[in-house]
Amino acid sequence: MRLAGLSVSVQRAEATSPARVAVGALGAVLLALALASILFWTAGAGPWTAYRIALGYAFANPSGLGATLQRAVYLLLCTLAFLVPLRGGLWNIGLPGQVYAGALAAFAVALRAGAREAGGVAFTSLILTLMPAAAALAGAVLGGLVGFLRAKLSVNEILVTMMLNSVMFWLTSDFIKEGGALMSATAEGESFTLPEGLRPPLALGLPPSALLALGAAAAVDWVFLRAASGYRVRAFGLNPQAARYAGIDPVRVTLWVFLLGGAFAGLAGYHYFAAVPGLYKIPTNYGYYGDLAFYGIICALIARGSGVAAIPMALLFAGLSVGGRFAQGALRLPFGVDYALLGLLMITFVLSHLVDRYRVVWRRVPPELPTPAPPHVEGVR
Amino acid sequence: MNPAGPARPGGPRFPTVTADSYRAASSPPALLARGITKSFPGVLALDRVDLEVTEGEVHAVLGQNGAGKTTLMNVLFGLVQPDAGEVYVWGRPARFRSPHDALACGIGMVHQTRRLVPAHTVLENLVLGHPQARGLLDLRSAQRELEALAERYGVHVDLGARVWQLSEGEKQWVEILKALYAGARILILDEPTSALTPPEVQVLLRAIRSLVDEHGVTVVLVTHKLPVVRAVARTVTVLRAGRMVARLPVSDVQDQELVQYMVGQEVALPSMAASPDRGPAVLEVEGLSAYNDKGLLSLRGVSFTVHAGEILGVAGVTGNGQEELAQVLAGLRPAASGRVRLLGRDVTHASPLERWHLGMGYVPAERAEVATIGPLSLVDNTGLNYHFDPAYTPRGLLDRALLERLTRQILATFRVKAPHPYVQARQLSGGNLQKLVLGRVLSRQPRVLVAHLPTQGLDVEAATFVRAQLLEAKARGAGVLLISEDLDEIFAVSDRVGALYEGRFVALVAREETDPETVGAWMAGLRGRSP
Repeated sequence: MRLAGLSVSVQRAEATSPARVAVGALGAVLLALALASILFWTAGAGPWTAYRIALGYAFANPSGLGATLQRAVYLLLCTLAFLVPLRGGLWNIGLPGQVYAGALAAFAVALRAGAREAGGVAFTSLILTLMPAAAALAGAVLGGLVGFLRAKLSVNEILVTMMLNSVMFWLTSDFIKEGGALMSATAEGESFTLPEGLRPPLALGLPPSALLALGAAAAVDWVFLRAASGYRVRAFGLNPQAARYAGIDPVRVTLWVFLLGGAFAGLAGYHYFAAVPGLYKIPTNYGYYGDLAFYGIICALIARGSGVAAIPMALLFAGLSVGGRFAQGALRLPFGVDYALLGLLMITFVLSHLVDRYRVVWRRVPPELPTPAPPHVEGVR
Repeated sequence: MNPAGPARPGGPRFPTVTADSYRAASSPPALLARGITKSFPGVLALDRVDLEVTEGEVHAVLGQNGAGKTTLMNVLFGLVQPDAGEVYVWGRPARFRSPHDALACGIGMVHQTRRLVPAHTVLENLVLGHPQARGLLDLRSAQRELEALAERYGVHVDLGARVWQLSEGEKQWVEILKALYAGARILILDEPTSALTPPEVQVLLRAIRSLVDEHGVTVVLVTHKLPVVRAVARTVTVLRAGRMVARLPVSDVQDQELVQYMVGQEVALPSMAASPDRGPAVLEVEGLSAYNDKGLLSLRGVSFTVHAGEILGVAGVTGNGQEELAQVLAGLRPAASGRVRLLGRDVTHASPLERWHLGMGYVPAERAEVATIGPLSLVDNTGLNYHFDPAYTPRGLLDRALLERLTRQILATFRVKAPHPYVQARQLSGGNLQKLVLGRVLSRQPRVLVAHLPTQGLDVEAATFVRAQLLEAKARGAGVLLISEDLDEIFAVSDRVGALYEGRFVALVAREETDPETVGAWMAGLRGRSP
């Protein structure tokens, strides 16, 4: 593009500093809040009031904070489920499907253990361990299927995971509806509720899966930093050709990242449906929780593939979705304002990445030399 | 003017014949370039090059890879601005700032790689970028015009077909038609036969003749294949290392003479350190064939043996099966047939990792795309050759301290200019990157080394260093397969010399039994084979 003797071009930036990244992230949050305040304002609510109510509920109100933390753990596990394949250059869009698979497996274990029977459950501590294990395994199997298709047959992993999301959504519906294997006693389109004995113990209101998620986030970063296996995944993600040259087996890498990613999503399903106080069942609106899993994609992208950096992002998104929903009710805002806020956040974060990756370069252009008129040509037209 | 000019230092040693006799006294040349000079950082790509193309002829521009053919054509098509020199089109001076200007002067170009939108129809591709297609498209009238045009030139291309459905030959036709539709009367074809099957080549050559003879189009044909020149060209301009070395009527010149122009005479046999006696066979290849990415059989049954302590030099112009050969040996491309034995073990179907473990070392031609990972540090890049080595991965963890020590050692031994071992690989220049890759691979002490274009794009100092390292690997007892386009290089280091042409070995002989000229002729497809 040319402007008055100057050429303007956009060039790729060579490297970015962590400080720049942090400033960019902060700028993105502020920009999104500023843009969303226009929405609040047009809906007839003062933006200041709206944010005070939303953030106050999400981070200062005890019950709001509890909901925020539970949701943050869920989002963090979903983030890891997306992040691990992403480091291998692969896109796991199948988070909701893998979440449902994890939830179904956990409840199936509970069912086998006699959760719906009057007599109560024996060996509860064993069952309490088996439930998350089964959830992780089910998510891994579903993810592994995608990885296998991708690795062996070059089937696009994005398409397969998206379709499996639909399959798993309806499969879940089939399991919990009237007559389904996991239906509740009253047949209201939701699963049975876990008996007291199968609810995991809480510390500070959080189940053990919270600790597991935090540990996993740190472990994932450590593996990618130090382990030879993590190195292979990174090499494959950055340059598959170079990885193949170096003797890294694309099939193994693809299969492993999807197995691991699926396992994290399965655990997320266990956490939200079987370990969070106040739920302990697969509710009728399980689709809403499934859709929330997609915020894991955004968290992973914003955190640039780091599990630890994703922790504050998961907290932020969890808080805004919990608080936004609360403010919407409290201020009688139109439906969807909370979604709009999260959507704006995504856009501004993507924008901050672009700004970070490119530089605008201005350069003086020397005046142009005159071109002679082309000679008359006996054209074919 | 005499385009060959008076003898310049380092210029041709053969008398040049000008083509004045062809030219009608009154009409100016269709295309005339004088003193075109273009330098890129570190390379003088074109050095005072002249080109004179008479109207209504096929003018071949002949030269090896890197001779400057494509750069010259890019200048004539407005893609590259020359540092010096003038261009005249039909006798009038012209200065092209972009291909748009060149097209306005009636010059069209068909590039070596296709520049079409695969998902669009032929018609949409033809209209795209047409000088008159601004704003609204009138596809129906364009279709009528194009149908008439295609009929006039006897081209059979389905305008409604999607480009991805077409064969390579048909796609090339679309590009030629596109240039003609845009009003080109001078058509530049850059290596038009390189992606085609032999029957498609025949069709193309016939069509070029008809374009010229029946429709008065002037064609500039860039090629390295002598048989193609013989088949259609009337005049040939030979480039070597950025200089124009000859301009001759094709009928007046012998093939051997053209080869001498292409290859040059500067090749001097250097004295080599006395090589140890040839050891046992370390790499045995029998009847090896492989498909290229387009699904064409581009390596067709090659057989050879590399012994410990020898360098086998394989010459050839890129695109004659060398890449496929190197990749099959590295395990990166499946063999269609044939057998590969490494140190006596059949590795035809072995994975790249197994080959690394067995002692195969591979230095690919694409140092930035395949041999390194740009965003990773040099230390992490060293890991590419060591992530599978137990000594560097105790308990499954990468030993970064050990890798760093090794990287520092490679940087020092191979004189890689890098500020520190944690700099990103993409910040290194091509020569330094190449020395790094070679150092990494050689640090594994491979028993067999496959080096593909190891000095491509390197300055003289770096290239000399790399060659010395190949000789040292040989002295240590490695068997080296050197795949190169550079005859000087092949003759400087090889014990035996072969040439690949269209996927086959033209010959494979001891270096003493041949000379660069003969091998140059092999590379150009001379051995009684038609294009």
